[in-house]
Amino acid sequence: MALLLTSMGVIFLLFFYFNPSQNAFFIPCPVKYTTGYYCPGCGSQRALHQLTHLQVYNAFRLNPLLILSLPILIFSLGVTVWNWIFNTSYRVKLFYNNLFIYFYFGIVLLYWIARNISFYPFNLLAPTAP
Amino acid sequence: MQESTMNQNMQAKPDNQLVWAILSTVLCCLPLGIISIIKATKVNELWAQGDYEGAKKAASDAKKFAIWSAVAWALIIVPIMIIYFVVIVAATAGGNAY
Repeated sequence: MALLLTSMGVIFLLFFYFNPSQNAFFIPCPVKYTTGYYCPGCGSQRALHQLTHLQVYNAFRLNPLLILSLPILIFSLGVTVWNWIFNTSYRVKLFYNNLFIYFYFGIVLLYWIARNISFYPFNLLAPTAP
Repeated sequence: MQESTMNQNMQAKPDNQLVWAILSTVLCCLPLGIISIIKATKVNELWAQGDYEGAKKAASDAKKFAIWSAVAWALIIVPIMIIYFVVIVAATAGGNAY
């Protein structure tokens, strides 16, 4: 867990100081690289860079799903960290509802297909550089 | 609500690790993350059926697959990063030799 927090800090600094679209140091998405198709995670690195600079709209254009998932990700990560620090075992209720899990990953699959359709309005979902 | 659940089971639900499954999907879709998701739904089903031991087992499996997907990702990414780095250093050194 301490390892996890440290790596999160390192990742934050990395994404704050470097822009993935201008540095060869960052790895392109392996799915995009090998197949030419976008995956649900494509654009997330550039979106994280925009987020660390509080450019939420730019981040949204790069990966809308990531931004829409952020509230729940931040909340559940917060719960996880809280449980670790205070030795409690709080649970995120939504995660214990299988309907939510099927719904969320159904959306992910649709999103995956939709962002690879190259005409309007689906092309809005593809990573768009600011 | 929390109280009544605690009284019924006298213990908290095992963590189904769905956070990590969602994170891995949104950051870089990983095949092992999908197994982690399936295990997470299993935790919920088994717990609802009253199979607490089974639910705990599924939860630890979910954790295992979440960790393995992260490790697999690192195993793919780290060598590529090293190659990139070597190429960049080589290119820079080559530039100096002119």
